[in-house]
Amino acid sequence: MFKDKPIKILLAKPGIDGHDRGILVLAKAFRDAGMEVIYVGLLPTPEEVVDTAINEDVDVVALSLLNGAHMTVFKKVADLMKEKGVKDIAVVGGGTIPDADKPKLEKLGISGNYGPGTPIAEIIKHITERAAEIRKLKATGE
Amino acid sequence: MVKDSQSYWSSKLMALREQNSGNNPDYETWKGRTLDPWNRNASSAGMESVNSSGIISKEVYTSGDIPQNTEKELLGMPGEFPFTRGVYPDMYRGRRWTMRMFSGFGTPEDTNRRLKYLIKHGESGLSIAFDMPTLYGFDCDNTRADGEIGKCGVNVSSLKDMEVIFKGIDLSQVSTSMTINAPAAILTAMYIAVGKKKNIPIADLAGTVQADILKEYIAQKEWIYPPEAHLRLIRDMMVYCTENMPKWNYISISGYHIREAGSSAVQELAFTLADGFHYVEMGQEAGLDVDDFSPRLSFFFNSSINFFEEIAKMRAARRIWATVLKEKYGARKTRSLLLRFHTQTSGYTLTWQQPLNNIIRTTIEGLAAVLGGTQSLHTNSYDEAWALPSEDAVKIALRTQQIIAEETGIPDVVDPLGGSYYLEWLTNRMEEEAYRYFEEIEKVGGILEAVKVGYLQKEIAATSYRRQIRLEEGKEIMVGVNKHVEEGEQPISILRISKKAQKQQLDRLKEVKGDRDEKKVLEALKDLEGAMMKENENTMPYILRAVEAYATLEEISNIGRKVFGPWKEPVIV
Amino acid sequence: MKVLKIEEIVRGILDGDRRAVSRGISVIENDYDSTVARRIIKEIFPSTGRAHIVGITGPPGIGKSTMIGNLSAMLSKKGFRVSVVAVDASSPFSGGSLLGNRIRMQESLSKYGVYMRSLANRGMNGGLSRSVWDAVKILDASGSDYIIVETVGAGQADLDIVNLAETVIVVLGPGLGDEIQAIKAGIMEIGHVFVINKMDRQGAFIAMKDIEETLAMSPSGEWKPPVVGVNSLTGEGYETFIEKIQEHGNFVKNHSGSILRKFRTELQMTIIQELRRKFESDISLFLGDNAVIERLIREKVDPYSAAEKLVKKIT
Repeated sequence: MFKDKPIKILLAKPGIDGHDRGILVLAKAFRDAGMEVIYVGLLPTPEEVVDTAINEDVDVVALSLLNGAHMTVFKKVADLMKEKGVKDIAVVGGGTIPDADKPKLEKLGISGNYGPGTPIAEIIKHITERAAEIRKLKATGE
Repeated sequence: MVKDSQSYWSSKLMALREQNSGNNPDYETWKGRTLDPWNRNASSAGMESVNSSGIISKEVYTSGDIPQNTEKELLGMPGEFPFTRGVYPDMYRGRRWTMRMFSGFGTPEDTNRRLKYLIKHGESGLSIAFDMPTLYGFDCDNTRADGEIGKCGVNVSSLKDMEVIFKGIDLSQVSTSMTINAPAAILTAMYIAVGKKKNIPIADLAGTVQADILKEYIAQKEWIYPPEAHLRLIRDMMVYCTENMPKWNYISISGYHIREAGSSAVQELAFTLADGFHYVEMGQEAGLDVDDFSPRLSFFFNSSINFFEEIAKMRAARRIWATVLKEKYGARKTRSLLLRFHTQTSGYTLTWQQPLNNIIRTTIEGLAAVLGGTQSLHTNSYDEAWALPSEDAVKIALRTQQIIAEETGIPDVVDPLGGSYYLEWLTNRMEEEAYRYFEEIEKVGGILEAVKVGYLQKEIAATSYRRQIRLEEGKEIMVGVNKHVEEGEQPISILRISKKAQKQQLDRLKEVKGDRDEKKVLEALKDLEGAMMKENENTMPYILRAVEAYATLEEISNIGRKVFGPWKEPVIV
Repeated sequence: MKVLKIEEIVRGILDGDRRAVSRGISVIENDYDSTVARRIIKEIFPSTGRAHIVGITGPPGIGKSTMIGNLSAMLSKKGFRVSVVAVDASSPFSGGSLLGNRIRMQESLSKYGVYMRSLANRGMNGGLSRSVWDAVKILDASGSDYIIVETVGAGQADLDIVNLAETVIVVLGPGLGDEIQAIKAGIMEIGHVFVINKMDRQGAFIAMKDIEETLAMSPSGEWKPPVVGVNSLTGEGYETFIEKIQEHGNFVKNHSGSILRKFRTELQMTIIQELRRKFESDISLFLGDNAVIERLIREKVDPYSAAEKLVKKIT
């Protein structure tokens, strides 16, 4: 089960950040790549993001921030997931993330961390890979 | 004055369509005689020439592409209706544009230092950027603000912070622009309060607050309450400032953010002017005379990388504004018809890759703004795709416009490109496309309804997605991103906001809350709530009182949250 | 919590655990025909039948999501456990979809702990996909008092809702004009409660009268569908709205007809599905054999005779 079905992905900007140009483009691009995309609008709290991810049972949560708060806010999401014992949802990130921050985010389990100008195909490839890992994990649960 | 908007826009659109259609026989002859044979022999297919607004250009333009009445009616002379060539007769010969570098980061102390640095290097107007919590009306001690303090601008939680920002700066000698929208009335009140403490009469305070809430719903998405509530607060501010602050521009109607959110140039033009028309109607409905308040409305445009499209946009904007203010809203005084604007070069066109290229992009965009007749200019720093600009990068950006102003000779002549067949044709086409949108917006039910149902937001998202696909397909080029890419680039050094900024702000807020007279705060807030509940009471004096009692930004915003409720965005994708 | 096993999913659903509910729905959504999905439904089935299933349909842009947000907030405040299932259309081209309904109800969801799940209607000939039925069962078994199902607002899925929900709410707005006329034809018959949203707008009153008139003319059974006006901004009219929903819920409980019809419909659907499952491979085999098809064409065998022959062979 779960193998060839569409990837289900939650797109969220969990901080105080109204720059939604990028995330709206990605939402459309992911849909056109055959994913089921959930976009919760602006200003969700990290708690809301994690709850939504669980209730919708998504494969991937994609976080975006362009306000420089990623180290604090992305971490909150990762911590909450850990706290709730969620291991079978992948978290990827993006936005204005300086190179120096990337390894720290990776350590929190947040991969990708793409900046503006990244080809969408590259982002989709990464998400597809992460989703495949997650699907495998979900499938072995049965 | 025109009452039936729908038929006004339709008739304007029809006239423009008529004006801009029709073949140019000179071009057709030339095409048959010279161009087509040339193309038949050429090995390459030629470039696709379409601009962001979807306007396709021909190989060349001649006098046959522009109407006969161009010089006398469509252009007019500088400082004369319809102001296509410029709002002032002598433009930059009399006075250069104001070099206004948007700044603000970290703590009020950091920003105070940066402002003084810019003044020292020849900047002529201050421009303050605020951080996200401030823009959304949250104090620094709100858990949601954690990690965001001072990141995108300076943090202001109470009057105390504003006092620090302007410490040692003579407010009677500078004009200050504040990029603030949802809490604009609160920040204006804080500025007034700072002035009062420095014994500067309120009438002498000069500057601008952005306070363009419509474009927040359309593009920048920094709102607190539903549109009607914010518009009412802005109306109060309009009335208050018209009566008390002759040098205060209370709305800067902004296309900048609409463009940054992914719109085309013509969408920026049309949506911004449509917002402007709404504010005019609002002022009239509040009982103000259009000639009393429209001179205080100013604009803020983006200057992006398609050189002629940008210049045409700015020229068309002036013509449309003057025409509509005169015909539709019955403005009589010349000053009411002038579209004066600030320009910022495009942030979106800057790249992470090969960041020094951004200096060149900014130069071209800044030049377009000057040729478009801007009144003030912010040139972006080359490191802004990464973070807030470092001091060195800001200096180069400022120097860029100083070079345009002092060395190139471009400011010597008013509208030096006027009469260019191509530019005039393009200006006319941009104008026509803008009217097409005005008509469309009216059909949706007016700008407010269009905002509430997400019509404009959807238009922008569609444009932005289309552009992204063109980039992915290589039909549009960004040097260093999808062409002439270099591997293994070294990151540049960028400005990082230290964690100390948050701590310092938290400490100060605690101190403010400890020192203030709590009873006075509660009373001021209670009275403000009462004023907000009464549709016809002007809230501005109440906000000022609350600010002066050191009620915090969030405490004041919360009164509105209680009275007006939150805003739910429409579904855009 | 580690990755969930099937027993844990079933136990979790019955205990009302959200992760189990979510995962259970994923299982049936991704593979409703599999033995795993069936096992879950079989095991939880005895615990279903308690919830009041409310379907909400109406044209796009009418404010259904905001309405569901308000409705679920108010029901929660009254002490009920509310779940929401929102069904969106998948793109026929990419198979992807954008599930955006959450935006309009986010506030109620987080404030009142309402469970909401978006389901993409993965190409079921425009009708409600089977997984919606089973998702509702899972939510029912997990202890929901109300399950609100929102449909895409166009096409067959809106008509299907009447077979899934006990109470079908048709949302309409003022100022729709011709659209109302067109919509009426299709969905007037399925509604148990009609709601005019955005009562602040002009024309709402006229729209209400219009619908009442149409209802008066159409043949109806014992239940006379009421028309309620609400204002989603002020909350006006919602109390009455909820009363009408509850009234209809009680009506259904006392009239076995609708329960019989619902069960019969689902059973029919399942039997057809079962039959298809059983014979699918034979049919594909038959259709995929070029030699056979070419022979049928050559010999000018009509489709009826060919089909009858095949069915006789495989049964």
